[in-house]
Amino acid sequence: MALTWTRREPPQGLAQAPTDRPAGDDTLERLLALVARGDEQAFAELYQRVAAAVFGLVSKVVRNPAQSEEVTQEVFVELWRTAARFDPGRGTARSWIMTCAHRRAVDRVRSAESSARRDDLAGRRDQGRPYDEVAEQVETTLERERVRRSLDALTDLQREAVVLAYYGGHTHREIAELLGVPSGTVKTRLRDGLIRLRDHMAVDA
Amino acid sequence: MSADLHTLTGAYAAHALSDTERLAFERHLDACPACAQEVRELEATAARLGAAVAAPPPPELWDRIRAGTLVTRQLPPVAGRAERHRRARPRVPPLLAAAAALLVAVLSVTALNLGLLGRADRADRTAGLVAAVLAAPDARRVAALPGGTGQATVVVSRQRGRAVFVADGLPPAPAARTYQLWVVSRSGPRPAGLVEVAGEGPVTRLLDGPVTGNEQVAMTVERKGGSARPTSEPVVVVDLEA
Repeated sequence: MALTWTRREPPQGLAQAPTDRPAGDDTLERLLALVARGDEQAFAELYQRVAAAVFGLVSKVVRNPAQSEEVTQEVFVELWRTAARFDPGRGTARSWIMTCAHRRAVDRVRSAESSARRDDLAGRRDQGRPYDEVAEQVETTLERERVRRSLDALTDLQREAVVLAYYGGHTHREIAELLGVPSGTVKTRLRDGLIRLRDHMAVDA
Repeated sequence: MSADLHTLTGAYAAHALSDTERLAFERHLDACPACAQEVRELEATAARLGAAVAAPPPPELWDRIRAGTLVTRQLPPVAGRAERHRRARPRVPPLLAAAAALLVAVLSVTALNLGLLGRADRADRTAGLVAAVLAAPDARRVAALPGGTGQATVVVSRQRGRAVFVADGLPPAPAARTYQLWVVSRSGPRPAGLVEVAGEGPVTRLLDGPVTGNEQVAMTVERKGGSARPTSEPVVVVDLEA
């Protein structure tokens, strides 16, 4: 082993994190790159910028407040851990972060709660359209308005499939059961629906 | 088969596939740039659906997250081509992150109990101190000098005057031996506690006694029960001044 008891100088250039960067107007991509190098200040700034989006989405899917906090915590610790694996060639940082948050939220509702979830599924069948619940929340900001308009542009089946999958965290099989259509139909409606949303949001920018 | 797979981009982007279907589709993505491109776009679209339901988290959540990162080792930037589409979906959740989250949750509760009960046994007091160090506003993580065993760091808070040793990937100590921590100041090493390695996952150990933040922390292999003075060269050295 190369280590000894003698005091030594820290390796040149590794002792301090870089501090010569402008604060405030970094892109999320730049912040992620800094986080990947262990920059805690950049991580704090990243958190400021995306915490509400992550927590809101996780809460929407998970619904239980304490569990939503836990999952949000997992998401950010995971972002810290895997920041170096972000590949800007594969999409935006925001998309990467939200995909990670959604995946974690979905994993949570599908694992521990699977039995409770099945009961819930049975309950929801009698409850009618889950879209109303979303419509309530999609109201204040411009972005919410845009998303709402885009959701309105979908057919009923497309909208229900997208909302149940994305906000509800359901698999295509569960959605098929809920809506009483073949699961192949749900898969194609999910794709058609998201493509239509994509195109509508691009025009309605 | 591939014509059918092309239609799965939406269900994949919305995480609506079963695990088996997802794995099959990810194999397809590696070979189909058109689908990979569509998935990217639909994920970005889905992200906007997510942003539309934004809600501010409770303020104290940040402290828990920060404490979690202090005991979590970051991955190096590897990611070869084959891995690009395999987004590390946590079938097996990242052990370290999960353990860290659990640790912080347990410690927070313990710390709370400590406060409420007024008196507690030693284990509870230790857990409370660990939580206090990790959550301290001036908590600082210092990595071990290169050349040591496993991935070791020390989280130190000058304000609390205490430090926590965190290591991942430590092999169990040899038979009839134990790991022992030392705080090394100008006056030489003093014993700072034994480290038990039980199975996988990170090891967390509050260092016995106060630290100022100017010392080195070292770990040696000693006979069972520990020694009064180190009897071997250290396997880990962390320079808190670095």
